[in-house]
Amino acid sequence: MAGIATPEIQPGLVQTTEDRPKSSLDPGYLVICWNDPVNYVDYVTHVFQKVFGWARAKAEFHMRQVHEQGKSVLARESLEKAEHYVHQLQKYSLHATMERDE
Amino acid sequence: MKLVPTPGARLLFHLDRQEAFLLPQILQLYPRIPPAHQALSRTGRIPHPEANQQLLNEALAEQRAENRQQVLALLADRQRFAPTKTGGRLSLAPAEVEWLLQVLNDIRIGSWIQLNEPEAMPPKLDDVSVRDLLFMEIAGFFELQLLAALHKEE
Repeated sequence: MAGIATPEIQPGLVQTTEDRPKSSLDPGYLVICWNDPVNYVDYVTHVFQKVFGWARAKAEFHMRQVHEQGKSVLARESLEKAEHYVHQLQKYSLHATMERDE
Repeated sequence: MKLVPTPGARLLFHLDRQEAFLLPQILQLYPRIPPAHQALSRTGRIPHPEANQQLLNEALAEQRAENRQQVLALLADRQRFAPTKTGGRLSLAPAEVEWLLQVLNDIRIGSWIQLNEPEAMPPKLDDVSVRDLLFMEIAGFFELQLLAALHKEE
């Protein structure tokens, strides 16, 4: 069984998030949920509440946007966080993707 | 499928005979969404789109394998799913309700994909399509029962 690697901290060196590549931190990715004719509106609302921790009213707002406008932008995040949210939404079989905000 | 009021966090459901027969049948179909069906991006304008798509496919495949094991464990566990004189009894922890929702919706969406993702149901269906439509509706029925129970709990 592999051990857990301990990060080596050198005296006088403070690691910050700024050290990471900009592309992975820049909140330039949109998490979008697309409409489909098969997912129940109650189910979509429930999933938004679970994945984003939103109150029911906010989750319903985005659910209605998906239903009426064909899609809803749920979040604008860094690459990693956007990937995380898309994965969570797809675990529930929602039609979600991430797109570069240009 | 009725939620039975009980003390504690677990949700206890009473299933009638038809429901107790159908639930294990429908759960055995999991997973129904084809592997690598879900896209990470529509435009592909993300860094390393192919590698990231591959990572997503692997993560979802791992999740489905885990869910499949949990489904089989649930169906074999008499403490959680057991026949009764009038049908069946299903006892779920709140976290189990979440994965069961994921499993049921996978079966619903996978069945819809088998039907070629129609916007509305065509007036005539062949035998295979009727079967897929039934799977889709039965999975949806159980899904709505679970959601209603969660709302009641709130």
